[in-house]
Amino acid sequence: MTPEVAQILVTGIVTGLKFLGAGLAMVGTLGAGLGIGLLGSGAVQGIARNPDAAGAIQINMILAIAFAEAVAIYALVVAMLILFVG
Amino acid sequence: MDTAQPTKRRFGFHRWLIVALIVVSVFAVRAYAPVRPHVQVAPEAVLGPFNVPLLGEMYLTNTMISLVIVDLILLVLALAVRRAVKTGAPVLTGIAGLIETVIEALYNLAESTAGKSARRIFPWMATLILVVLVANWSKLLPGVESIGWLHEAHGGVEGYPARELFRVGKASVSAIELGGGEPAGHSDSTLYTVSPWVRGLPTDLNFTLALALISVVMTQVIGLTTAGPGYLGKFFNFGRFARMWTRKDLGPFEAIFPFLDIFVGILELIAEFAKIISFSFRLFGNLFAGAVLMIIVGTLVPVFLPSGVLLFELFVGLIQALVFGMLTLVFMSMATQLHGGGHGQEQGGAH
Repeated sequence: MTPEVAQILVTGIVTGLKFLGAGLAMVGTLGAGLGIGLLGSGAVQGIARNPDAAGAIQINMILAIAFAEAVAIYALVVAMLILFVG
Repeated sequence: MDTAQPTKRRFGFHRWLIVALIVVSVFAVRAYAPVRPHVQVAPEAVLGPFNVPLLGEMYLTNTMISLVIVDLILLVLALAVRRAVKTGAPVLTGIAGLIETVIEALYNLAESTAGKSARRIFPWMATLILVVLVANWSKLLPGVESIGWLHEAHGGVEGYPARELFRVGKASVSAIELGGGEPAGHSDSTLYTVSPWVRGLPTDLNFTLALALISVVMTQVIGLTTAGPGYLGKFFNFGRFARMWTRKDLGPFEAIFPFLDIFVGILELIAEFAKIISFSFRLFGNLFAGAVLMIIVGTLVPVFLPSGVLLFELFVGLIQALVFGMLTLVFMSMATQLHGGGHGQEQGGAH
């Protein structure tokens, strides 16, 4: 194995591992998806029981979704840092 | 896409305009294939380096230009409203009327959450919402992230051959294109990449971090000025710890709770710092992901789908601006109501 071939091999493996790592980082969105699903179901049930409270429920739902979504966004930022930085 | 067309020529003119633009895009894409630009997290330097005393080397980055544009838009809007108010018309029309509606809706939101202290909190919240909203939507303008200096690609950056379009004086205006075309205008076959002049403002972490710092620091200031020095008792809760030593009969719980108080205070302190990270990364992550999504969809499926993605980005920009402002509002109103029992929510803020 010449040094050039070894170099190409190492670069390829490193690139592949980068993509693998980014993919694994995105597993963290699982929890956010579950959380947003639960939030949406809860909010819709609340609105169905009390349609007058729809406005307040929506505001609180969006706030809570922002919290749940933040976790997914962190995973996304980590994945993008792996992919695009360095 | 929705170009301003004040005259209503016939039924559904805008609709047909959009359909026509989509059809044109099909042919445009065949004639001129979209190029996937280089994705970079740090903002690109447009001019520089400048040697600034005390600070060292500084670059004029493209997000700074974007910030100036966003500020100019906001200033023009503010001046338009000022002029409309000065005319003394009973009902504001046009842009001023739109701004009035928005401000009124935001003030109602602030009042329903913060109650009495809405007047103090509202300017911060509304300013943050407007700045973030304009910054988010200015990212979607055509030309942003696609017009800029042509650089030679090096160091792992994917490059494309450039073709000269026309000349303005001495300056050459060129476009990069997918391989296959012969690089005219530039004699050798060097590969080029574009570093844009204007880039979406929230895709720079410095901007979102600055907004987060403003939000969190002003929350502390409002808490301190409203509740007085007692506000600090939330973080440094030594009251029961000090009283513990004067007690004669010390039960097991009286000995544990003072330490719990101190621990909870430390947690609250950490939560404040977590808020900074949470604020800045939420906005940055959402908008940077949006930019990458537009790039990827635009190069993979350049017809039909980018229109939908643009609509989605419009929605995301609005929601993120609202979320930023509303979280600021909620945190500030929690800081003004010291013993409001908002501990559960406070912990939620640590995410």
